[in-house]
Amino acid sequence: MAKDIEISTSESKFLIETLRQGLRQDLRKFEEIREVGIEFGKDYGDVTVTMGKTKVHCRISCSIAQPYEDRPFEGLFYISTETSPMAGAQFENGNNTGEDEVLCSRIIEKAVRRSGALDVEGLCIVAGSKCWAVRADVHFLDCDGGFIDVSCIAVMCGLLHFRKPDVTVAGEHITVHSMDEREPVPLGVLHIPICVTFSFFNPEDAEENIKGESNKEICIIDATLKEELLRDGTLTVTLNKNREVVQVSKAGGLPMDALTLMDCCHKAFNITETLTDQITAKLKQDFEARNQYAAMLSSENTRVS
Amino acid sequence: MLSAQTGVLEQVDGSCKLQCGQTTVECSVTGPIEPKARQELPAQLALEVIVRPCRGVPTTREKLLEDQIRGVVTPVLARYLYPRQLAQVCFQILESGEPEENFSVKELSACINAAFLAIVDAGIGLQFSFASVVLSVSTDGEEIRTDPAQLDLIESKSTHILALQLGEGTQKVENVLLFESHGDFTEDTVLRVLQFGEKSCVETAQELRKVVQRKVQQDFVWR
Amino acid sequence: MSEPVELRPVTFHPEVLARIAPDLYMQRHLSLGLRPSLRAFEEFRNVEISDGRLSCASEDSINVVGNNILGSNVLKCGKTMVITSITGGIVEDVVPAKSVDNDFSEPSERTNRVSQFGRVYPVVEVERGRVGAPTDEEMTLSQRLYNCILHSGLIPKRALDVSVGIRSTNSEGESSVVYPDEEDSSNAVDTPFRSKRKWSYTLYAKIQVFSRDGPLFELCWNSLLYALASTKLPRAFVDERTTDLKIPISMRGRSAVIRETFEIICDPTKYLPLSLDAANKAFASNFGVLEIDPEAQLPKDDDDMQEDVPGSVLLADVQGESEEASVSSTISVVTNADGNIKHFRAVGGTSKITIEMIQQSIKLAKLRALDLKAKC
Repeated sequence: MAKDIEISTSESKFLIETLRQGLRQDLRKFEEIREVGIEFGKDYGDVTVTMGKTKVHCRISCSIAQPYEDRPFEGLFYISTETSPMAGAQFENGNNTGEDEVLCSRIIEKAVRRSGALDVEGLCIVAGSKCWAVRADVHFLDCDGGFIDVSCIAVMCGLLHFRKPDVTVAGEHITVHSMDEREPVPLGVLHIPICVTFSFFNPEDAEENIKGESNKEICIIDATLKEELLRDGTLTVTLNKNREVVQVSKAGGLPMDALTLMDCCHKAFNITETLTDQITAKLKQDFEARNQYAAMLSSENTRVS
Repeated sequence: MLSAQTGVLEQVDGSCKLQCGQTTVECSVTGPIEPKARQELPAQLALEVIVRPCRGVPTTREKLLEDQIRGVVTPVLARYLYPRQLAQVCFQILESGEPEENFSVKELSACINAAFLAIVDAGIGLQFSFASVVLSVSTDGEEIRTDPAQLDLIESKSTHILALQLGEGTQKVENVLLFESHGDFTEDTVLRVLQFGEKSCVETAQELRKVVQRKVQQDFVWR
Repeated sequence: MSEPVELRPVTFHPEVLARIAPDLYMQRHLSLGLRPSLRAFEEFRNVEISDGRLSCASEDSINVVGNNILGSNVLKCGKTMVITSITGGIVEDVVPAKSVDNDFSEPSERTNRVSQFGRVYPVVEVERGRVGAPTDEEMTLSQRLYNCILHSGLIPKRALDVSVGIRSTNSEGESSVVYPDEEDSSNAVDTPFRSKRKWSYTLYAKIQVFSRDGPLFELCWNSLLYALASTKLPRAFVDERTTDLKIPISMRGRSAVIRETFEIICDPTKYLPLSLDAANKAFASNFGVLEIDPEAQLPKDDDDMQEDVPGSVLLADVQGESEEASVSSTISVVTNADGNIKHFRAVGGTSKITIEMIQQSIKLAKLRALDLKAKC
């Protein structure tokens, strides 16, 4: 890292003290996420998602490729999450081997790709020889914590918004129709996983945390950059609207009460529900704006045959 | 044609989002900061330029863009003011606006213009203003277009990018920072494009100046 | 009263001065009307070229076994040596279904200039006595060469099409290869197979540079051009029996038939020369612009005083560390002798590039192109 971020002792003491008193610096409640903003670009699959000051851009693209030999009926799907110094000077260009970067890309990979959020069988064009390769490029623009949660929303919004060109298959030959020629087709998205990250703080000493009865650990949702720097442990749960747990990740850190996990999942589900509704509403709004002349231009007859 | 906002990012010293036709880029500038040992220059400001493509991973195409941008920005920065320091200039292409596998001129031009605004936003010393335009010559070799649309670019006989160093309130052309042409053309075309491009470069610079003016007005609202 | 201080002029050996103060060293030379290389301002270095006999297609190839080089060039310029070797591969093109099913062509396809041209994928290696990840210079050079080849239209796309022959084995076990363009009308080789699939050559160029001594783009470009001109593409054929091979597959209750990808075999004896577009064959020259610093000039005799020193000079064919370090503005021109320019690049640093300099550099580049063309 070119320049690690450092937080002064007085500031960190102050932050922990406010948390102990049940306050956060941006006046949020412990179980409250920052406001999520979703903005679609001109092209299909171009989305910018903000959460507070954190900002992520995601671009979905597709090309024709050859499927893997052992999976002739499946298309290809990649997610790339690379950081650049644009998000902050602590990130080094082209070096994504840092612990946080690896963890972040692995969780997104698990939450979206491995959970089967995208129907890869629907990407097959000609079995064994041609398929669509869909790419999600996540660009981190501004970092104020919560990259995992925002990236997951951005990738899912992108996939839902993306349209791939229509193809005609004649034997082994295929024709790709341009967007002007034929209405492009959406991707098959099977469910919308939403990541919610919890951060744990231990205001007492380590002994109290393990042996003590008091359960004084503090648990907050959607930490900002400063809170992330000071946290003692983290947990990311991924859920979808069907009340299914897609992924749970707690990579070491502060030991916590087992029952807290259930509690966290319950809290996360409420967030998942509101975010899913927000995404669907936003998508609907965008497509209505795109198709505002569709009814006028329709050549369909109103008569019932 | 050209619209831009400065100060769009929080964690960096200067930033700018610039849209020019179908091309959109975001640029961030961090500096002067402490460089790594291998980047450090004893008497001058070191420059790290990073271009990230809209789709896929960075390739040699982006490396060439970085090299070209560095060539434009290096001579205009007041580099002697910041010895043994580093400025990171980072670009993210949000919308390419051109067939990426064949062209990179529109991205380059947008990046150069965005760099100007972001450097001003970061408050790093500049010796001159600069601005850039893309020009294309139609198939018959007659018509010269500035900031061609995607289709014009594909159909063109030759494409040119021009970046000029401007002085005296962006009115006077001081030097050619970059003039690069590809395709099928003659000496006559080069001179005509240069003459034509000079005018549109000055116009672009005026647009950029307006953005800076607005920014200064907003930043100094307390005065 | 302090002792009077005696100041002695410091003198350096020319090589030492060149290292510690390249700009001063350069300026002192310029004031004599010479360059450190003792060339005149607008004088180019001589270029020696040969094909190096590396290609397996050339008759007097020096390495016949296990060689897959299709074209080569060795270019020597001063102490710099550039070795280019062209290799290739065959890829299948995507044929749109429409053109097979019905004959009518695309309605009013607009002219897309670049799509008519073939590409070469160059990799430049500047040898510096150690291995490692490619440097920025190598990467930008490779990409510039790629862009220039593509946009110059040197290689028409048609030139890379493979006309695939068919190897058939008769009842006696003798095999013969029939190529579509050699075949006479009486021969009854099935044509529908050919129309369905299309292949084309992909060319790669490996450019190795030894003893780097100045800017490299122009040397690499000229070497690549000579190498491409000497390139011969091997003829390719498929075996008759593999032309319609289908493999059934099934997985998780789904089944399909996959047509096997053809194994294309290259004929080791027959070659066709790569046909380049002669009108687009252009040669590269580079120039540097340098401002003359009046303070760094050597003291002149009185009778020379009237002579007007120009503000800045144009130097052809930048060479050496001191020139490269002190030249801040460069011009690079890729043109042929008729003035058909393919690539032009002017990068202005602190020295001002004037219209006259651009004109002069194009004029000189044209003359040089004429000279270089004769060596082809």
